[in-house]
Amino acid sequence: MAEVAVTLSTFILKNALRNKRRATLSVLSVAVSLFLLVTLLVGLRELTLPVEDSGAALRVAVRNKISIANLLPARQRPIIERIPGVEAVTPFTWFGGKYKNEQGMTFAQFAMDPRKLRSVFGEAKMDEAAYKAFEAEREACIIGKITAEKYGLKVGDRFSLESTVYPVTMEFKVVGIYSGTADDRNMLFRQDYLDERSGVKGLVGMWWVKVRSAEDMPQVLAAINRAFENSAAEVRAETERAFQLSFISMWGNIRLLVMLISSAVVFTLLLVTTSTMSMAIRERFRELAILKAVGFRRRELFACILAESFGLAMAGGILGVGGAYALFTYGNVSLMTHGVFQFLEVTPKIVATGFSVAALLGVVSSILPGIAAARMSVVEGLKTLD
Amino acid sequence: MTGLFQVPAGLMPLLLLGLVLAGYLVWLVWSALTSPIPLLYNVKSVFVRWRATLATVLGVALVVTVYLLMQAMAAGLEKSSANTGDPRNVMIARKGSTAESSSQVTREQFRILKYFPEIARDERGRPLVSADLVVIMNLPRRNGSGEANVTMRGVTPLGRELRPQVRLVAGRWFEPGKREAVVSVRMAERFANTDIGQRFKTGGHELTVVGWFEGGDSAFDSEMWMDADEARSIFNRHNYSSVLARAAPGAAQALIRRIESDRRLPLKAEPETQYYAEQTRTARPIRILGSFLATAMSIGAVFAAMNTMYASVGARTREIGTLRVLGFRRRTILASFNLEGAILAGLGGVLGCALAWLAQTLCVAFGVRFGTLSFNTFSEVIFQFRVTPALLMEGMLFAVAVGIAGSLLPAIRAARLPVIAALRAV
Repeated sequence: MAEVAVTLSTFILKNALRNKRRATLSVLSVAVSLFLLVTLLVGLRELTLPVEDSGAALRVAVRNKISIANLLPARQRPIIERIPGVEAVTPFTWFGGKYKNEQGMTFAQFAMDPRKLRSVFGEAKMDEAAYKAFEAEREACIIGKITAEKYGLKVGDRFSLESTVYPVTMEFKVVGIYSGTADDRNMLFRQDYLDERSGVKGLVGMWWVKVRSAEDMPQVLAAINRAFENSAAEVRAETERAFQLSFISMWGNIRLLVMLISSAVVFTLLLVTTSTMSMAIRERFRELAILKAVGFRRRELFACILAESFGLAMAGGILGVGGAYALFTYGNVSLMTHGVFQFLEVTPKIVATGFSVAALLGVVSSILPGIAAARMSVVEGLKTLD
Repeated sequence: MTGLFQVPAGLMPLLLLGLVLAGYLVWLVWSALTSPIPLLYNVKSVFVRWRATLATVLGVALVVTVYLLMQAMAAGLEKSSANTGDPRNVMIARKGSTAESSSQVTREQFRILKYFPEIARDERGRPLVSADLVVIMNLPRRNGSGEANVTMRGVTPLGRELRPQVRLVAGRWFEPGKREAVVSVRMAERFANTDIGQRFKTGGHELTVVGWFEGGDSAFDSEMWMDADEARSIFNRHNYSSVLARAAPGAAQALIRRIESDRRLPLKAEPETQYYAEQTRTARPIRILGSFLATAMSIGAVFAAMNTMYASVGARTREIGTLRVLGFRRRTILASFNLEGAILAGLGGVLGCALAWLAQTLCVAFGVRFGTLSFNTFSEVIFQFRVTPALLMEGMLFAVAVGIAGSLLPAIRAARLPVIAALRAV
């Protein structure tokens, strides 16, 4: 019995590879399309999934109720600090600086209170000296590891940034490089330094609040929202997750669009693979007829065809999905995407989706040729010349 | 070199490719025409073997459709910026700011520049100049799928005159001091509580919608408008965001020079049309994505075309042998099979163009529009597909290139078949 199985699988393998060029081309076209599909899914996930930080569960974002682009008065801080359950509060102000005339996206810079760095953003890992220097030196700034590597910045370096938001160009000194957050790209510097240089006093971008425990969360959110009701600057306090999700809604119909394109890719793939399989089967109608004459049943012939097309599709899947995985996991994503994406994580779910599409493809594309082979009569098949 | 030959650097490779392709195509058609039997033979072959070719044609068609729609979106986005502004107007904003919403012009600065002699005046002698306030508001979407940023522009009555593109289509204009706003029809389609008579809340204030306007496919279609001074008061702003001035005839450059050289004014002035033209970079990510998709998908399509053409050559080995015996030369065979690939993919291209055109027509007919976050204004921009004739040409070029690339190797194989062996083939 085992011997028969071996012979049959050898037969299928030999058949699949008898026209090596066609097998290669089919595998490659499936691979390219699956690579594209994975890339789209990964990109979409990156755009629409908020980054999760370990400290996120206990953090609250407080922004102007009109929109995040409107500033908040600095005098709100002591009021928030007095709310029971609040552990620490820091301003967080978007600077919008341009680094060395660079066009497009570079890295984000925010002004904050250096004394609250550890309590609010505890997941950022940095050596002790850097924390001290950040608190001591007015021009100090700390930058994420990714940005530091991208621009070759080291501790002790000085550089300047021209703000697109404030009428000022500011000088900074790098005192530390942090890592360990979900996105080690930002630059952080001191709010008091920004106030002094920009001449804009008493205004901050938003507040980040650290809450003592998860139980305090709902009541802290409500208390902050209530505290500034009917004041000149009403606020919206929300959890870090809700805050991140609010950005995703802004992408508009882009999600729908990527879905449509992905479907077009999958559909094209189906067409092409089906046609290849049909070609492969048509070519050997004669042989199939002989197999039938020898006594093979329809079911067995169909299994042969299915196994062959499934195998080809899976080979394409391994190449395409695996290639995408290797490229995005080990390649420099930032360089490849002109800085639009820093990371593209090929999650197990996306890998599974890619392989499911490959499997589906293998099965669906064998149906039509399979039916044709099953229907044909032996005499008819033997007569075929093509 | 004269101006005629100046091509943007990014377009050079494309242009060269186009030239090479065009040259090759001319050769193909010429060789086919000089020996007309194979040409007819190939055209007929495409249709006779329709089952095998259909998949490839559809595949190429879908590749072309995806490419065209992506580029059409980018073109639509760029068009809405390019449509905005009056060449006589000068836009004045803070130096270093990249968008109106992050710019500030103080009242003092406005007073200084208001009476510059280069600014045109109306019949009553008032300078045609308007200081606006641009605020970004976060509003809930109509379909309940979250919130998005919206540009609210505080304008003066003169500011309305300076932007004649904007027409009221329903209701009336806002009256200062009554907490009223007008909303573009496109925004009203997307955001909650923006029907005429409804109120929406922003910060601690409620605004009543009293009218809808149309911006003539310009950037103003992505805005809401209210009175400038009222906006300054409810959004707590001392300063304006930007100033728009109508320059006296022929004085636009002089006005720009005067503002830029005045030491009291840390401001940047440029023609309004130029200001909006710079905003077209919002479309760049879509262009990049479109090109990436097209490249990747076309590689897949080339493989598919190759498969079909190899099979086609294989099945017609005898026919090729016969042609050779009849005296057709190897390069004629090569040209004719290559041309067959081009025709095959060209059919796909035509179908793809038709699909993209259909998608655009349907979108226009049903008023479907797309909105996304603009990194420039940090608020929602609304745009429409724009399948231009130039894009259709690009799509066809693309399809034919795929066809030629995909059939080159099979055609070479066909040309190289030894005559005797080919004739003996079953």
